[in-house]
Amino acid sequence: MRRFKHFDASSLDEAVSLLARFEGRAKVIAGGTDIVGTLKDSVLPEPYEALVNIKTIPGLEGIRNGAGVLKIGALTRLEDIAHNETVQTKYAALAQAARVVATPHIREMGTIAGNICQNTRCWYYRCAHNRFHCVRKGHAAPGQSLECFASDGDNRYHSIFGDVKDCLAVNPSDTIPALIALGATLKTTKRSIAVKDIFPPSDEPTKMTIIDSDEIVIEVEIPEPQASSRSAYHKVAIRKSIDFPIVNCAAVVDFEGDVVKDCHICLNAVHYKPYVPERAEALLEGEPLTDEQAATAGEAAVWGAKPLPMNSYKITMAKGLVKKILIACREAG
Amino acid sequence: MPDFEEGGAREVTLKINGDDFRILVEPRENLREVLHDRLGFTGTKEMCDRGACGSCTVIMDGRPVVSCMMLAVEAGGHDIETVEDIERKQHPLIETYADHNAMQCGYCTPGFVVTAKALLDRNPDPDEEAIKSALEGNICRCGTYPAHIWAIQAAANRLKTREA
Repeated sequence: MRRFKHFDASSLDEAVSLLARFEGRAKVIAGGTDIVGTLKDSVLPEPYEALVNIKTIPGLEGIRNGAGVLKIGALTRLEDIAHNETVQTKYAALAQAARVVATPHIREMGTIAGNICQNTRCWYYRCAHNRFHCVRKGHAAPGQSLECFASDGDNRYHSIFGDVKDCLAVNPSDTIPALIALGATLKTTKRSIAVKDIFPPSDEPTKMTIIDSDEIVIEVEIPEPQASSRSAYHKVAIRKSIDFPIVNCAAVVDFEGDVVKDCHICLNAVHYKPYVPERAEALLEGEPLTDEQAATAGEAAVWGAKPLPMNSYKITMAKGLVKKILIACREAG
Repeated sequence: MPDFEEGGAREVTLKINGDDFRILVEPRENLREVLHDRLGFTGTKEMCDRGACGSCTVIMDGRPVVSCMMLAVEAGGHDIETVEDIERKQHPLIETYADHNAMQCGYCTPGFVVTAKALLDRNPDPDEEAIKSALEGNICRCGTYPAHIWAIQAAANRLKTREA
């Protein structure tokens, strides 16, 4: 592993000023399970010069249940979220999502903010020693043009909703779909922003989120769902543990009797950012949630999908997953 | 006290198995390297080196964590427990693992034992499901998985009779 500097920040102000001093060449380290892997593999053409440890800042960890809002500190470990009783009962989709991230060991280290801000797992991008200097990494040498190696290569785990500036990588987060469906907001050192709005517009493919290099997530706030609503989450992956999702999905459905009053669905690992299938949400609202309705919503959720040569199976998977999650919400009562 | 470069190598105090070790570490050194290669806690094994196999598991402040993905500079001040301490304190897991042959080549075994110890500390009477989910992050290429469930349940029973 290449050398880098390491700073233990004692306050958010100190951490922000350190990050600002390195002008984008420093990165925050929380649980470290993602960034240590990128450093070990020398993934990036220009490695980070410094890491700023925020685990030494007091008060960033813990789950607080306030008036109508659940506040989860940025450094709260995923395992603690998965086992929290309030999260399990009122925010079931989030507990289920946190429960299936990687392995128990990684969940004991990995934090909620780290899970939100993690980098892509595209195997060309992550291949060790920058073997595939792709379009996502930028910085073309003079006369060199950058490409996406997945477009002509093995793209079985890549986007089903097309490329963004030629990049086909997907967002691999397990907790993001649950947070978006639950309407969560991030509090950072600069702003308060809905989780669904933290993703870059489609002309900035190299960034996972629009969170600045000198901005730190402080807290995740989730409004308490209606008592009549239910949520569920499921992830499809090769193995039950360790693997990243091939497709995952969360839904929050508010019922009035059998009829769907309000519905939020979010898929992930299907596009460069989480995918909210608005057509599916719209057709469900005001109708009873039958198995047929759930299947129709699954069809609508993948409307406009454009499979790559090796990943049309992901469309079938996403359809089935939306149906399964909607039925799980109905049965959860 | 030498004059260290800002943000560079520095001295940390690692609390390992109740003892303090003052050691100069570089930011890029991970905890497994320091434990195994520099301090001689050779029970903490390197296998995948990417946090996916559980062979390098140690207990930190009561949590089972993969030491290969933790920077040693960030481990200072935390209570670290390795398999050596579990053996020294004659935890019943050591004997029940042998009794139930819960190993073949034995390379991944310390990681399993440490994970199991962390489980029993939190849940003294784990059922099969609880054991399986606690061990989800440990990989054994010899395929000794069923034997771990027997060994951990036997150790739980011995702990209960020991306390009674």
